[in-house]
Amino acid sequence: MGMKSELKAMAEGFRWGRRPLVPRSAEEHAKPKIDRVFPSDWARTDAGVAARQVLLKGAMHPIVRNELTLRVFGRDNLEGVDPPLIFYSNHSSHLDATLIMCTLPDAWQAKTGVGAARDYFFDVWWRQAFTALVYGAFPIDRTRGAKGAVDKARELLSEGWSIVVFPEGTRSADGHLQRFRHGAARLALETGAGLAPIAIVGAFQAMPKGRFWPRSGRPPVTVRYGEPFWPIEGETHQDLSRRMTQAVTQLFHEERTTWWEALHRAQRGETPTLVGPQGPDWLRRWEGSRPLGRKGPAKVWE
Amino acid sequence: MALALEFYRSAPKYLGARALGSRAPGLVTAGLAPLRLVTQKDPEPKREGWARVKPRLSGICGSDLSTIAGRSSFYFSPLVSLPFVPGHEVVGELLDDAGDLVVGQRVVISSVLGCAARGEDPPCEHCAAGQVGRCDRVTVGHLKPGLQTGFCTETGGGWSRLMLAHRSQLWPVPDGMSDQTAVLIEPFACAIHATFRAEIPAGGTVLVVGAGTVGILTLIAIKALTKADHVVVAAKHQRQRAAATMAGADDVVRPEHAVKAVRRTDHAVKLTPERGMDFLLGGIDVAIECTGSSSALDLALRTTKAGGRVVVSGIPGGGADLTPLWFRELELAGAYTSGVEDLGKGVTRPTFEMAMDLASNLPMLEELVGATYPLDRWREALDHAMAAGKLGTFKVAFAPQD
Amino acid sequence: MPRPGFVLDVDERTPPLLVHEGEGFRMQKFPLGTRVVYPPDPLPGIRDVNAAIRHALVHPTGDSQPLPDLLKAGMKLTIAMDDISIPLPPMTRPDIRQRILEQVIELAARKGVEDVQIVVATALHRRMTADEIRRMVGERVFRSFWPEDLYNFDGEDKDALTLIGTTDKNEDVEISKRAAESDLLVYINVNLVAMDGGHKSVAIGLAGYRSLRHHHNVDTMMHSRSYMDPRPGHSAIADSATRMGRLIAANGLNVFQIETTLNAETFPKNLGFLNKREWEWSAYDQGLMMAARKANHLAPPRARREFYRRVEAPYRLTGINAGEVEAVHEQTLENLHRQQLVEVRGQSDVLVLGLPYISPYNVNSIMNPILVHCLGLGYLFNMYRNMPLVKPGGVVIMYHPVPWEFHQIHHPSYVDFFEEVLAETTDPSTIESKYEERYATDPWYTHLYRTSHAYHGVHPFYMWYWGAHGRDHAGDVIFVGGEPKSVARLGYRAAGSFRDALEMAKDTVGSSPSITYFHAPPIMIADVV
Repeated sequence: MGMKSELKAMAEGFRWGRRPLVPRSAEEHAKPKIDRVFPSDWARTDAGVAARQVLLKGAMHPIVRNELTLRVFGRDNLEGVDPPLIFYSNHSSHLDATLIMCTLPDAWQAKTGVGAARDYFFDVWWRQAFTALVYGAFPIDRTRGAKGAVDKARELLSEGWSIVVFPEGTRSADGHLQRFRHGAARLALETGAGLAPIAIVGAFQAMPKGRFWPRSGRPPVTVRYGEPFWPIEGETHQDLSRRMTQAVTQLFHEERTTWWEALHRAQRGETPTLVGPQGPDWLRRWEGSRPLGRKGPAKVWE
Repeated sequence: MALALEFYRSAPKYLGARALGSRAPGLVTAGLAPLRLVTQKDPEPKREGWARVKPRLSGICGSDLSTIAGRSSFYFSPLVSLPFVPGHEVVGELLDDAGDLVVGQRVVISSVLGCAARGEDPPCEHCAAGQVGRCDRVTVGHLKPGLQTGFCTETGGGWSRLMLAHRSQLWPVPDGMSDQTAVLIEPFACAIHATFRAEIPAGGTVLVVGAGTVGILTLIAIKALTKADHVVVAAKHQRQRAAATMAGADDVVRPEHAVKAVRRTDHAVKLTPERGMDFLLGGIDVAIECTGSSSALDLALRTTKAGGRVVVSGIPGGGADLTPLWFRELELAGAYTSGVEDLGKGVTRPTFEMAMDLASNLPMLEELVGATYPLDRWREALDHAMAAGKLGTFKVAFAPQD
Repeated sequence: MPRPGFVLDVDERTPPLLVHEGEGFRMQKFPLGTRVVYPPDPLPGIRDVNAAIRHALVHPTGDSQPLPDLLKAGMKLTIAMDDISIPLPPMTRPDIRQRILEQVIELAARKGVEDVQIVVATALHRRMTADEIRRMVGERVFRSFWPEDLYNFDGEDKDALTLIGTTDKNEDVEISKRAAESDLLVYINVNLVAMDGGHKSVAIGLAGYRSLRHHHNVDTMMHSRSYMDPRPGHSAIADSATRMGRLIAANGLNVFQIETTLNAETFPKNLGFLNKREWEWSAYDQGLMMAARKANHLAPPRARREFYRRVEAPYRLTGINAGEVEAVHEQTLENLHRQQLVEVRGQSDVLVLGLPYISPYNVNSIMNPILVHCLGLGYLFNMYRNMPLVKPGGVVIMYHPVPWEFHQIHHPSYVDFFEEVLAETTDPSTIESKYEERYATDPWYTHLYRTSHAYHGVHPFYMWYWGAHGRDHAGDVIFVGGEPKSVARLGYRAAGSFRDALEMAKDTVGSSPSITYFHAPPIMIADVV
């Protein structure tokens, strides 16, 4: 067979440019789907880590600083803590992962991967390549039940890599905290990894669901890191999820008021929740998009 | 917060798909299709008679593929409301009571959003007669415009984990019928309707162009419900031809040999123009075009005898040469979707009911469903559906609850 | 979780499949409905091999004492092991035999054993070169024992052989004198195929022509259906070896048998796609495959041969058992079947085999047409249990270029066999009665066998008999891509392409035969039910 006809036969037989198929009689022996996802481990090699550093420091961070008024607190909570940690935060914007990756201390950032929805970020090769490279992302299966969802996460944790997950599962549509899925809690209980809460305040206002670029005017955004905590012996995943929610809520209120005040409220069990007001959707969205007070020198021009 | 596959407005993607879709179908599924997987807010039934349905299987139809690949006519643009969730061939489970049907009942959906679903009272003349497919009010009433569920932003569609349906659209599925057979009821009803639109005379000859899902179901309907004497089927792929033979076609040929095959049935005269397809003076009594391609419509027009009838059953994909329509004084009829059929002597029967009846006695119909996919593998599902004929598959469906 | 082997039904979604053909391969699109038999996924290997060996030596299987207890100062110890015909391809270093040898010798040294000799059990195969032996046993053992106490078996050294006795079926049992007179004979085996191991190791591996002719003959081969199925009654050769082995044991020779099994990781990383199912090839695998094909085409024959010669299999150990021969072998077969057995329902009209570049008898050598016949109609055809994959009188289609090429040093008797014997007749029985004796006792061949690196004069005959059952069973044998002259000499037919082969097969099986493609290597056994 000539070269041309060989290539043609290969292109047709192996469906180049199309999705690969499994012959009908081989279906029951097909490899589990998670393997057929485009692999993301390349982004966690030394070369991948180095490239990521360049991209984050050289491009993403300057853009973030330019488009937003960014403030970061609480990174000292991570000092002296051993990896791996499960970083988790509230999720209301596409900005969230970028903000976390740009604000993590260097040593942590080099060995952290962000969990991204497999069905969106990992189904086409170029989106996967970008996500894996910039965020060290790995796939999380959010469509099936809890079972296979976090296999890759477990693998990374066992190798000493920290991960970033968003327990709400998807971005909030109105800025308020949604019910946490139990995947992260289960993972922590299984692997014994610590949980590090992060509160991202203002991202919804700056770049809510539906927008792909922050609003003009350098909206204020705060990333607040909390103290890592570990699962207690015999804790159920529901209890742990509750503690996780409580931790993020507290950080939010630290942001809104002061640390002292937030501690006291927590002690009294009075930490207001973040689930937002009961009531019609328009009210929730209204409250969720309330602009944050600008703390800084007033603009000269109004 | 249910998962759904949503078709959204994106001019660049639409144009890209339209330009490149036929040449590089892989690109369509890779990134040009204006579809995305979203967690939608659960649709709530707001009025009396509406119920939530949990789709168990939802088929991918040729019309869906042509919409996604940007090939459908702009004619449809006011008849749909974006963004919508596609999927109009649905077998699902009721999550609310709907009229006399209770929670948990398995149903198939007759997807047209006619006067009853839109609260139009009095109904238009077609809905009053039961011909829901011909409803004039599909863009008005208390629903957003949408000719069917699966093209309307308010109702959701089959390619999701939760959708809405009106009682007038629901047909209960008998317990013995499998999901795979049930998901074929909607296309089967369309095929039956096309068969009646064909008005095949007793002892007549028929040409069915195309033996994909639509073609095979049409062939089955012809064999079961008409007294056609000789049925020729033109099909591109080997598995389709095998299925056509099994379903009882008298003559099964490749499309390139179809003109010759028809010629043989009535010893017509074959003529070869300087450009274009051969045609016959004489030929078949009735031709039914089931692929939506313009070359198939050409074939149908050129092989039908003078005064004969040509039925267009699939969404036409572009112009065909209408000269034979004029010269041979043919009757061109469209067959869109189901309604009620006139069985003669004043008796009418809803097409869906006829489809259910026939399908209950044809358990092998479920073999036509060649592959099912969960929603998050939608790119593979569409890729498979676009090449279904070549891959030996008939119907590809979503199993959204997986 | 390694997946079991299975039978694929070729449909529209199946890509072209890989078929080996000698030093190369091609992608073949099979007709719809063809069945393709795939081997099971490779089993995971034992992690701590040295610990596993240690354990086996100290916890024997069957009625045997642990090895340390059997070793005593002042005893005569002989260690024998399989030769270069196993495993295929040669495994990455260290060879498993090296690891076992080192532990056995360590134990012997500690126990004060002084009279130790190590024999490569070649029977009538060619002598291994010093380099080949060094590669197999490792530097340490080689330097300590070569050449006085580490040597190839010599089946024609009348003084070094002894007649143990005759079985109840009148089979002479004549083996190495040194082995027979030892206080302990340790045999180190690598069980690549079901035919190996068990009583075959000593009774055949250390035997001369006088013993071998009792089972290496046409009649025994015709009654071995197949010889890869050593269950009593299925393989006449296995039964014969068992009789001989039991006689040897009854005669007082203490045999400590160590048997190992390997997993199915047959090809190294740079040919990784050869281990995988085609529709699971990533873009990288596909690219690698096409690059390999192109390189193969462009390379001069020498370079190509050298490339393949250097292929090493990354085999991992799946099991090791030591102790009494029959008990050990039972375990070995269990492990082997776990990795290699595939259930196949029913026979078909046509059997397709892709012949790889290597057989047990052309390691570091050239595959001549007789060895092609042996590999195809002998080994691959017989990889079945119960009944062959092809119906009696069916067609066997094999892929191989069958070059008219012989290695002058390794296979001198083959050249004459091909040019003299096969030109006269290809019928195994006629060949046996008319020519075998002459070649077996020819002094020139014997001299080359004893002093050079040549296979014994009788060896090509055994190669011919090995395919006798296959020849007899098949109605027609067609080689795709084979050189017409060599194929014709073998008595078969040559076709340019698979399509042509099917066309030629029409005379025998009609125009729409059922086809089964046995997708090996990796090695597997079809359990045909």
